[in-house]
Amino acid sequence: MKTFLTILLASSLGVGAGAREIKLLNVSYDPTRELYQEYNAAFAKYWKARTGDDVVISQSHGGSGKQAQSVINGLEADVVTLALAYDIDAVAQQAKLLPADWQKRLPDNSTPYTSTIVFLVRKGNPKHIKDWDDVVKPGVTVVTPNPKTSGGARWTYLAAYAYALETYGQDDAKARDFVKRLYKNVPVLDSGARGSTITFAQRGIGDVLLAWENEAHLALKEFGADQFEIVTPSLSIRAEPPVAVVDKIAKRHGTVEVAKAYLNYLYSDEGQEIAAKNFYRPRNQAIAEKYAANFTQLKLVTVDQEFGSWAKAQAAHFADGGVFDQIYQP
Amino acid sequence: MKLNQLILTVAVGALIVFPALAADDTATNSTEAAEIEALKQQVQALDQKVQALEQQRESEQQAAANTNQEQIQELDQKVRILARQHELDKEDAAAAAKTQPRLKLDASGFTLSSADTNFAISLHGLVQLDSRTFFADHNIVNDSFLLRRARPIITGTVFHDFDFNFTPDFGGSVVQIQDAYLNYRYNPELQLEAGKFKSPVGLEQLQSDPYLLLNERSLVTDLVPNRDLGVELHGDLFGGAASYAAGIFDGVSDYNGTTVNTDSDNDKAFAGRIFLQPWKTSDVNALKGLGFGLGGSYESDRNGAAGLTPGYTTDGQQKFFTYSAGVIANGQHWRVSPQGYYYYGPLGIMGEYVVSDQDVKNGAALADLQNTAWEVSASWVLTGEDASYNGVTPRHPFSLHSGGWGAWQVVGRYEELNVDQSAFPTFASSTASASSAHAWSAGLNWYLNRNVRVNASFSHTMFSGYTGAVPAVPAQAENVFFTRIQLAF
Repeated sequence: MKTFLTILLASSLGVGAGAREIKLLNVSYDPTRELYQEYNAAFAKYWKARTGDDVVISQSHGGSGKQAQSVINGLEADVVTLALAYDIDAVAQQAKLLPADWQKRLPDNSTPYTSTIVFLVRKGNPKHIKDWDDVVKPGVTVVTPNPKTSGGARWTYLAAYAYALETYGQDDAKARDFVKRLYKNVPVLDSGARGSTITFAQRGIGDVLLAWENEAHLALKEFGADQFEIVTPSLSIRAEPPVAVVDKIAKRHGTVEVAKAYLNYLYSDEGQEIAAKNFYRPRNQAIAEKYAANFTQLKLVTVDQEFGSWAKAQAAHFADGGVFDQIYQP
Repeated sequence: MKLNQLILTVAVGALIVFPALAADDTATNSTEAAEIEALKQQVQALDQKVQALEQQRESEQQAAANTNQEQIQELDQKVRILARQHELDKEDAAAAAKTQPRLKLDASGFTLSSADTNFAISLHGLVQLDSRTFFADHNIVNDSFLLRRARPIITGTVFHDFDFNFTPDFGGSVVQIQDAYLNYRYNPELQLEAGKFKSPVGLEQLQSDPYLLLNERSLVTDLVPNRDLGVELHGDLFGGAASYAAGIFDGVSDYNGTTVNTDSDNDKAFAGRIFLQPWKTSDVNALKGLGFGLGGSYESDRNGAAGLTPGYTTDGQQKFFTYSAGVIANGQHWRVSPQGYYYYGPLGIMGEYVVSDQDVKNGAALADLQNTAWEVSASWVLTGEDASYNGVTPRHPFSLHSGGWGAWQVVGRYEELNVDQSAFPTFASSTASASSAHAWSAGLNWYLNRNVRVNASFSHTMFSGYTGAVPAVPAQAENVFFTRIQLAF
């Protein structure tokens, strides 16, 4: 009977001798595919050397808001690496899968890299787009995703809003009018950043794509620098995409240790190098300087500075009936 | 000829003609020269006008072309935007479809499930219309058509890990709940089931009703517990190569066709079973279908007559043995059942042996009676489909339109049940019961499709030890012809 129970428990709990194969699911936002493909391979190698175990990391990508909702609805994410803190807050608050203070668990508010929003225009910049003022001009067609579903789109919206506030002396009514004019120029709202890149670069729609900095660089790499060029506006927003272990799911999967190590390794020199190579601005100063040529210097504002906090920005602008719903006419 | 070319031709012609005229009249030379000069200037002026007109026309044409180009580009953008919007609408529709509940209706029944399949409910059913015709039995009233089983079966899942089953039965003469249980599935290896379900002992008993080879289970099933109420830990290990079940139950007597929903005493029964199919996941085809195991139960049973079988029955469901009035269960009741099957292609063989050992009491008389039974059955699918513990799936379902004839299977069985000789005469009477029965059966099964089956069989049962009057069931051999029409989905 003892032997039988041992076999039963071993079989049930997956306990065996020798190296284990550990499976991890990273639920991320749209443009991080390439970053995590490279990072996952590096981490698997690191983990194998450290523990002898094989770790197989699966990736899931989509609009950040949609991805968060999927986790809330039962997608078994061991870790989430989303576009903005509000989306992980939603997972913590609605599904109680991780503590409310999750952002304090890793350095830099659990944001191992940052990014910003820039413009991608067609080669030669035929519409002479230099700054946000040019984007709202009549006759300019703008491509950007839907802020309701895309984290990148929310950063973009807030960057434009922050620019208008600065330009019009913090006049909120004028800032609203500014973003209203911007979205009047948007003919198609994709659900995520990658979809918008496809709309602009592959489907040939629009004069300017409001894109994550890394996504703009990727488009140049993917489609050729002879087709597009990046325009850096005078002001943009410091986008801080955070990461977190989804405690309850990782605990259930028995992957807490490896999930924590997976996120911690993003702060290592190798993790920071991979981020920089994929055009995410690294936190590590030395590595940031090494890759300084990849990142144009510009004035960056933060959500906390301009909008108080993500919770306030979400409630005022993106919640049902918020400013975006008021100004956007499909 | 263009206008400027015409003017130039006229001018050049004039220049040639006028000098000729001038030769005749030298006096007018100077005047003529002046006229010629004037004409030249006129020609030049005309030429400039012509050029200006041509430039104006060209620029107008260019402007028109530019406008057209812009309009084309604008239209091109509009078309691209519409195409992309259509593409996104399709993506949205596809994404929305993934969140919609799913409805499925096929040979497995009707299922409604949530998009993520965490919630599901299925409706299945089993209806069996039988006939039994007895021969040479001194006109005992037993020939009949009967609704053997009529079961709506409701199964489902809630919150991904919790399965349930509710199966009432409107067949026979008593409406009863056959199954009503909740099963928590941590993973295939570790599951916990609670409620009313089959006790994990007999191989034949555990086989699902629609898949039985013959209309009725064999004499072996007389000695194993039927459905019982309790809690059971069970699971499949190593991809199904081994399975186990162990539970605590109210405890039921040897075969009792009518199940109950309450307990009649404080005693509880322990039942368990291990079944191995070592080659199930291997590449050894000839051994993949080999399975063998051991089931058993134990109960300290002091609950009077309710702890004893209401009677052992034949294939024709006629009682041939009952304990005498006043006999009660009086202590331990244990069963052991080694069992196995072998399926390979169209061949199927199943065998089982059971010992049911029970302490009984009649007044001051005590005894430990050990009844035994065994059976072996074999089947062959004539149309070549694979035989299995879970029935036969016809390769070509019956259809007069497309010419399929379903699957045909021949079956045979031999079985015995022997009551402990110590039962007679103190605990059972030879004038009312036989001490043993052995029987053979042969039949033909026609699987029209996955849902409809028709079968016919003949069973011959012989008894020994009976010394009572005639007519009575064990007074002569039982010869019964069965038919069945079955709908299962």
